[in-house]
Amino acid sequence: MTPEVAQILVAGIVTGLKFLGAGLAMVGTLGAGLGIGLLGSGAVQGIARNPDAAGAIQINMILAIAFAEAVAIYALVVAMLILFVG
Amino acid sequence: METAQPTKRRFGFHRWLIVALIVVSVFAVRAYAPIRPHVQVAPEAVLGPFKVPLLGEMYLTNTMISLLLVDLILLVLALAVRRAVKKGAPVLTGIAGLIETVIEALYNLAESTAGKSTRRIFPWMATIILVVLVANWSKLLPGVESIGWLHEAHGDVEGYPARELFRVGEVSVSAIELSGSEPASHSEGALYTVAPWVRGLPTDLNFTLALALISVVMTQVIGLTTAGPGYLGKFFNFGRFARMWTRKDLGPFEAIFPFLDIFVGILELVAEFAKIISFSFRLFGNLFAGAVLMVIVGTLVPVFLPSGVLLFELFVGLIQALVFGMLTLVFMSMATQLHGGGQEQEHGGAH
Repeated sequence: MTPEVAQILVAGIVTGLKFLGAGLAMVGTLGAGLGIGLLGSGAVQGIARNPDAAGAIQINMILAIAFAEAVAIYALVVAMLILFVG
Repeated sequence: METAQPTKRRFGFHRWLIVALIVVSVFAVRAYAPIRPHVQVAPEAVLGPFKVPLLGEMYLTNTMISLLLVDLILLVLALAVRRAVKKGAPVLTGIAGLIETVIEALYNLAESTAGKSTRRIFPWMATIILVVLVANWSKLLPGVESIGWLHEAHGDVEGYPARELFRVGEVSVSAIELSGSEPASHSEGALYTVAPWVRGLPTDLNFTLALALISVVMTQVIGLTTAGPGYLGKFFNFGRFARMWTRKDLGPFEAIFPFLDIFVGILELVAEFAKIISFSFRLFGNLFAGAVLMVIVGTLVPVFLPSGVLLFELFVGLIQALVFGMLTLVFMSMATQLHGGGQEQEHGGAH
C-alpha cells in the first residue's frame, strides 16, 4: 500500500467516523422525545379533567417542554460541531 | 358557507397567486437549481478587517448587519406606535393596534406569573421576546443567506461555478449555478461559494450568548434589589453552619443539614451558569438546525417542501421567542419571590 492510498483511506475512515459520531450523538434525543411525550400526555389529561385550567397548564407545559427539549438541543449542537467544525 | 358570505369571493385572488408562485418556482428551480452551500457555524465577515485600538482586528460580520436590520425594524415599529398614540385616537388601528394587542397579551402573561413585581420584570421579558421574535422571523425573508459576496472556494469547501448576469459599473452581478448533474470538480474555471451579506441573527452564538448573559445577570440584579443582600443567602447559605458551633447538644441531623445547606448553595450557583449555557444553546441550536434543514430540504425537494419548512420555521421562531421570554420571566419572578420563602425556611430551622 503506497502512502497516498493510505492517506486517502485514513481520510475516508475519519469522515465516516465523524458521521457515525454525529449519528450516535443524536441518540440523546431519545430521552427528550420520551419526556415531551409524557409532558404532552399529562397536560392533555389535565386539560380534559379541568378545561378551565387550560391556560395555566399550557404555560407550564411549554416551559417544561423547553427544559426537556434543551437536552435534545445539546445533542444536536454536539452533532453539528462534529459535522461542521474541525 | 351559506347565505352569510357573498359567493363572489369563492375564487379568491390569493389562492391563484399561490398556485402561480408554485408554478413559477418549478421554472425557477429548472433555471437555477438550488446548490448546497457550505455550512459554517461562525458568521462570515462582510467587511474588514478594521484596525481598532485595544481590540485589534475587527470584522463586520453578516450577523452584525442582521442585528442592525432587526433594530431598525423594531425602531420603525416603535415610532409607528408613538405616532399613533400621539394622534390621540381612542382606538389604535393598523400596525399600532397589532402591537398593542401583542403587548397586552404579554403583559397579562407576565402579570399571571410575576404578580406584584410585574412592572419591573415586564420590560426585560417583553424586550427579549420582541427582539428574538423579529430576529427569528427576519431569517425567513427572501435574500437572507443567499445574496452576498462571491468567494473562491478553497480547501475542502465545496464550490460551484458562477455565471455573470449583468454588470453595474465595475461590479459584476453573478449567480451561482449547478453545472449539469455531475459534481463540481476543480477542473474547469474557478469555483465559488457565497458569503451572504445578511445571515439569520440567532444562527450566531454571540447573539444568543449575549441575550442569555443579559437575562441571567438581570435576574441576579432584580433579585438583589428586591430581596436585598439576603438574596445572596440562596448561594452562600452559611447560617446554620455558623449556628452549629454554638449548640451544645448536636443531634446527627443537626450536624448534617448545615453541610447540606452549603452544598445546595453551590448547586444553585452552578445552576445559574448552566442557565446561561442552556439559554444560549437552546436558541442557537433550534435556529441553526432550522437553517440547515431549510438548505438541505431546498436541495433535495426544491419545489413544494421548502414552503412547508418555512411555515414550520415560523412556528419554531415564535415558540423559541416565547420560551426565551417566559423562562426569563419565570426565573426573574422566582428571584423576587425567594425572599419570603427563604425567611420562612429560616424560621422553620430556628424552631
